Amino acid sequence: MLKRVLKGSVSFLLVLVLVGLFSHGVFVVRGADGASSSVGEADVAVRRAFNATLDAERAGANVSGLMAKLNEAGELLAEAETAYRVGNFSEAVGKADQCYMLVDGVIGEASSLKSSALADAQARFSSTLMFSLAGAVVFVTALILIWVLFKPFYAKKLLKMKPEVASNVDV
Amino acid sequence: MLTFEDYRVVFAAVGLIGVLLFASPTLGLVLHLPGGERFSELWVLGPGHMAEDYPFNVRVNGSYMVYVGVGNHMGSSSYYLVYVKFRNETEPLPNATTGAPSVLAPLYEYRMFLEDGGNSDVPLNFSFSNISFSGNQSAVGSLTINGVPFIVDKSVSWDAVNSGYYYQLFIELWIYSAESDDFQYHNRFVSRWLNMTGI
Repeated sequence: MLKRVLKGSVSFLLVLVLVGLFSHGVFVVRGADGASSSVGEADVAVRRAFNATLDAERAGANVSGLMAKLNEAGELLAEAETAYRVGNFSEAVGKADQCYMLVDGVIGEASSLKSSALADAQARFSSTLMFSLAGAVVFVTALILIWVLFKPFYAKKLLKMKPEVASNVDV
Repeated sequence: MLTFEDYRVVFAAVGLIGVLLFASPTLGLVLHLPGGERFSELWVLGPGHMAEDYPFNVRVNGSYMVYVGVGNHMGSSSYYLVYVKFRNETEPLPNATTGAPSVLAPLYEYRMFLEDGGNSDVPLNFSFSNISFSGNQSAVGSLTINGVPFIVDKSVSWDAVNSGYYYQLFIELWIYSAESDDFQYHNRFVSRWLNMTGI
């Protein structure tokens, strides 16, 4: 009876050890996969955030604040990539997650900055266009008025001129 | 004396110039003139932020430092990736003619976001361990960069011409392209020769 129990326990322990060994392999592979996926997601998020920031900048927004956040996120992403490269998967996941969280709000912020910059640019363009149009119209009107006044003045000046008789010296 | 036709021409010219002057603020918003040359800078400075006192003779467990700097003149904000690589004399450097990066795997990396006209520099601390010398060969087992140890396993032969065991630490600049959604080698690298002097 005791032998049977011992045999069963040993078999059970053997199975446990085998499962443990196999699981360890699985966990290591999953650790690498998980880290790779986390770092990849953070990388994509940072790229998207940068593209959104670039769009906001092209629209005329001041993106200094966003660039500071992106630099912090970039530092974390670089640390995550380096940790992954040396096989420190838990640190890679941690840094990648921190990076993801940091960069999460940047796209929304960039989008709102872009909208307000576009609205500002539109308003600025409208006011400048109005200034140009009004200025040009006033200037041309004033010039026409001066021309209209100048024409009779010029004619009067011509009429007041005395004709000069030139003698033909050759004859 | 000017004739009537001459005055007409003068008035028309003044009118045209005036209209152009009033239109210039609007034209300035619509027309964009091409900017200057677009480029990026990459540099390495010594520990005092000057182009001097660069580490050259290195030994095991000695701690060395340089600054790696990047400047952006690309006309808009840029996203840079800086790779730190390590080689012996026989391994390839980037090819400046073809614009191809070195095939060596990067050890450490920095990521920088710079606005147009902006620049930034970051410290690069490094040290060596697991160094051995045998005959006319030297081998480096491990290189630690900013506290992160990397197994490098590089070896070099004695350089009789320059009297030393020469390794090279080099730094490549990559730039993110929004069009291709990927990093491209920016055809810029800087390097420092390091002479392994002893254990």
